[in-house]
Amino acid sequence: MVLLSYTPTLLMLALVCVLVQRRAHHQFPCFFTYAVFAVVADLARFSVRSNPDVYFYAYWVTEAVYDVLGVALMYEVFQKVFGGLVKVWWARLVFPCIVAAGIALSVTRAHATSEQLGGRPMLAIVMGEIAVRFVEVLVFIILVSMVRLLGLRWRQYAFGIATGFGFYATVALLTTTTFSDFGTDFKFLWGASLIVSYSVAVLIWIWFFSVAEIARPTGPAAPSPSPEELERYKEALRRLH
Amino acid sequence: MISVFVTWLIIACGALACVYMLWGAWSRFPRRDFDDVVHFLYPVDLSLAEALLDPAAEFDISWKLAPQEFREAQRKRMSLYVELVRRMAHNSKVLVEFSNAEIIREDLLRSDRARTLQQTAIEVRIYALLTLLKLRVWMWVSKTPTMPHLRKAAHVDGLKTYDALKTAAEAAFLHLPPTDLETLTRNL
Repeated sequence: MVLLSYTPTLLMLALVCVLVQRRAHHQFPCFFTYAVFAVVADLARFSVRSNPDVYFYAYWVTEAVYDVLGVALMYEVFQKVFGGLVKVWWARLVFPCIVAAGIALSVTRAHATSEQLGGRPMLAIVMGEIAVRFVEVLVFIILVSMVRLLGLRWRQYAFGIATGFGFYATVALLTTTTFSDFGTDFKFLWGASLIVSYSVAVLIWIWFFSVAEIARPTGPAAPSPSPEELERYKEALRRLH
Repeated sequence: MISVFVTWLIIACGALACVYMLWGAWSRFPRRDFDDVVHFLYPVDLSLAEALLDPAAEFDISWKLAPQEFREAQRKRMSLYVELVRRMAHNSKVLVEFSNAEIIREDLLRSDRARTLQQTAIEVRIYALLTLLKLRVWMWVSKTPTMPHLRKAAHVDGLKTYDALKTAAEAAFLHLPPTDLETLTRNL
């Protein structure tokens, strides 16, 4: 289990290398920050694991940062895909509505966790974490629907990020919902399934980012159309109007 | 109780979305190239669509016919517009799928044309899907709406955008032989 628990960290380190190679920090700054933070947070937790008091604070502070980054990068993905797609005013309300739905669903589950957690800040962090999982799954479902409805290209970085989070969040919600009914006997299985699914999510990200998104020529500007091409273009326009 | 149902619904949809993406990656979502475009398009008569959405023509029909007859005529006009919008939706999806492959080309000019084509095709598809939904609901509840209201959906002027789509498609297929370009124009 100890070896298994450090697998995502190693994979995350590989992902950071791939992201740097692809210069993804320009395109997806929040996702890049998340990946770097994940490595740093794991190393920080590992370094203070022998001191329970420090580990306690390190764990909960990093969890809170994960919550904030989770929402920020889902917004980044959402904007990347839908930014120039829909021009109606209410399109701007879709993401806040998703976040509101995630928080509402998380709050309805709060009664199950409130007795087990000591303080209010920790309860807020756990509720935030569940809300972020809901947001991740909802954004993933919406993006996949767009692939189906609009015929959008699925092999895009934005879809890769959403797929990784969507897969992990679906498994996380499924295991949390199921195992909360069975009690602490399934704690090992719950922990193992989360680690395995997170590792699969990181592998999905590595796979998506392993291919350059758009192969651009290295020249400074686009080549100009030839005179024949321009003539044919004018002819085509003439026929249309 | 509702939150439990919604939670399970979201989990089920999430699982289905995972399966869909896995299936897509496995089957590699077949790409559309030039050969899979021109002959897969259905012609859309924009002048007919203009006539169906013309408020003056609609007022004229409502003036000349009895209410029952007008309802019947309006239903037929709606069915005709459904067919036109269905074709728009199909054509735009074909062009979006085609431009998916073109956008990632190294040829910057072709890639930029494909991007313009895709953007316009997506707008047409959004218009077509929303209008189809609206029309189906109206036909289902037997409502007699005013057709000119269908010109815009989600701030997209359907007919104007479809016209722009034709121009963008012509630009994207510029390197085709003139006969194929002619067929494309006819089929759009």
